[in-house]
Amino acid sequence: MRMSVINQIDWKKYLLRWEMALILILILEIIVFGSLNQRFLKVPVLLGSINDYISICIIALFGTIVMITGGIDISGGAIVGLTSMVLGLLWQDAGLNIWIAVVLCLITGILCGALNGFLVSYVGVQAMVVTLAGLFLYSGLAVVLSTLSVSSAYEGIGGFPKEFIQIAGGRLFGVVPNPFLIFLILVVIAYVLLHKSRYGRYVFLVGVNPNAASFSGINYKLVAMFTYVLSGLSASIAGVVLTSYLGSCRADLGNGLTMPVVTAVVLGGTAITGGRGSILGTALAAIVPS
Amino acid sequence: MNKLAKAMTETRELFTIAFLVVLFLGTGLVNPSFLSIDNILLCLNGSVIYILLAIGVSFVIIAGDIDVSVGATLGLTAAVCASMIRDGSSLFTASVTALTIGAAIGLVNGLGVTKLHIPAIIMTLGVNGVVRGSIYVYTEGKWVENLPAVFKSYGQITLAGFVNLFLLITVLIVAGIHLYLNRANKGKYFAAIGDNVGGATLIGIPVDRTRIIAFVLCGIFAALAGIVFASKVGFVTPTAGNGYEMKAIAACVLGGVSLTGGVGSVVGAMFGAVIMSSISRILVFLQFSSNWDNTITGILLIIIVVADALIQKFFKEKARRERLAARDLKIETVFKEAGGECKCE
Repeated sequence: MRMSVINQIDWKKYLLRWEMALILILILEIIVFGSLNQRFLKVPVLLGSINDYISICIIALFGTIVMITGGIDISGGAIVGLTSMVLGLLWQDAGLNIWIAVVLCLITGILCGALNGFLVSYVGVQAMVVTLAGLFLYSGLAVVLSTLSVSSAYEGIGGFPKEFIQIAGGRLFGVVPNPFLIFLILVVIAYVLLHKSRYGRYVFLVGVNPNAASFSGINYKLVAMFTYVLSGLSASIAGVVLTSYLGSCRADLGNGLTMPVVTAVVLGGTAITGGRGSILGTALAAIVPS
Repeated sequence: MNKLAKAMTETRELFTIAFLVVLFLGTGLVNPSFLSIDNILLCLNGSVIYILLAIGVSFVIIAGDIDVSVGATLGLTAAVCASMIRDGSSLFTASVTALTIGAAIGLVNGLGVTKLHIPAIIMTLGVNGVVRGSIYVYTEGKWVENLPAVFKSYGQITLAGFVNLFLLITVLIVAGIHLYLNRANKGKYFAAIGDNVGGATLIGIPVDRTRIIAFVLCGIFAALAGIVFASKVGFVTPTAGNGYEMKAIAACVLGGVSLTGGVGSVVGAMFGAVIMSSISRILVFLQFSSNWDNTITGILLIIIVVADALIQKFFKEKARRERLAARDLKIETVFKEAGGECKCE
């Protein structure tokens, strides 16, 4: 018993150290680039630059939770493209209200994540293989959907209403960009979910030892599956924000996001074998390269 | 159980081949012109690059690791090889340089994974980024174009009137590797390590060295694919090979190579690659739009891995039942010999 307490303290210390290191890197980065170019130091520029990386940050947050259970989700980028296409099609070609379209988009993301999670935890296929298949499937579906639209695939669907563009284009108090605000809110949600809730404890337990989790009466399959649902949901949120930021939706919007997301999660101190990791680490690590 | 497991591992690539045959015959039923020899050869020719990548990756996967840097390696080696040939080097020098670069990238991967104990996916992910970046530095973001016609014509050379040179070489390589992996002592090291690292170490297999060799071979095959890419496509963009790493892994999975390591063969990986690169052509012959390409690939992957997981579960359960039944039987006979009554169920 005492051993485990000691271990826990060591482990927390380690995490704190790692997060401190990330903060130091971030400050160092700002100072170095700031001294190279004065304009970099202006707050709007600093906060504005996050727009380009916001989707990576958002997906990585919940990718961390997946990785803590010992899985991995590489289908996030594909879900971004798919939700973007779904959004465009529902709004332009089906003529739905933009907000209903957004909600349906989020449901799409949840369904994609649920399929991943079901195959991983109930059928027992490796997470990497399932999400690889998901990567092909969802990006393929996005391309198929793009051919259904009246707009050509290269132009993408544009001309969204102003309120929708405001999701990414608006700034709170004229300073803080909305995407950054969304990111902060998601950080808080993810933090509470992972570090302050019972579900979070279960996630860690499943990552450390699924058998132990199963013997202590936790429905570990459901816990693991739900992490993929969260990951899918976050990818669809990223898809909506990115679509709003760019003002048009394209099937290949999320291409190339896969690897940066995994990189951010790992840089944040999450063990790829599962059982260790933190939201703050990922949040910092996602911001540092950007 | 051993026999069963062996049969399972051996039928994996047979399953893939059967699937390929069914796929081709099914397409042939709808559109008979698909089954002409010319068309089948075109299908095979088109998959040479993926076959080469998949062979390399299958080494690494069979040994229990993973390599996601082959796409960037392909791009860099293609760019280097193409630009050297454009600037007047001989094919030999350019190829050797490309292969050396590929081997060096593989060596870095292997050393990082075995000596620094970095998880393979992280290490190769990092290397992927570095190599992709160095393509931009090397080419200054420009396309490598204006390759000599001789170089581009290698892709069209045919032997005996119909067999493509690259295809022939690739098939020979696959046959050679298959024999090596299954007949030579050292060839079995890869699967042994992938199946059980601890056991492999205990019986004296040089684990680290073999894993490094797997990565180096993977790099070399990616470089080979790069040379073929430069010759077949005729120009190299800085984004050449983007996403090919995922396709190579998918080809391996389609071909029955298990990502847990220890199970699979290069022949399976080859046929997996053929299936994957033929899908778009099959779609065209079925008068679908080739936009469905990735969707179908994803669905096929899911079907195959789910079927595989369910079959394995079934056999595991069956083996467990047989073992329990055998144990009960044994206890029963012991009791009867002792003159007692069996109380066990």
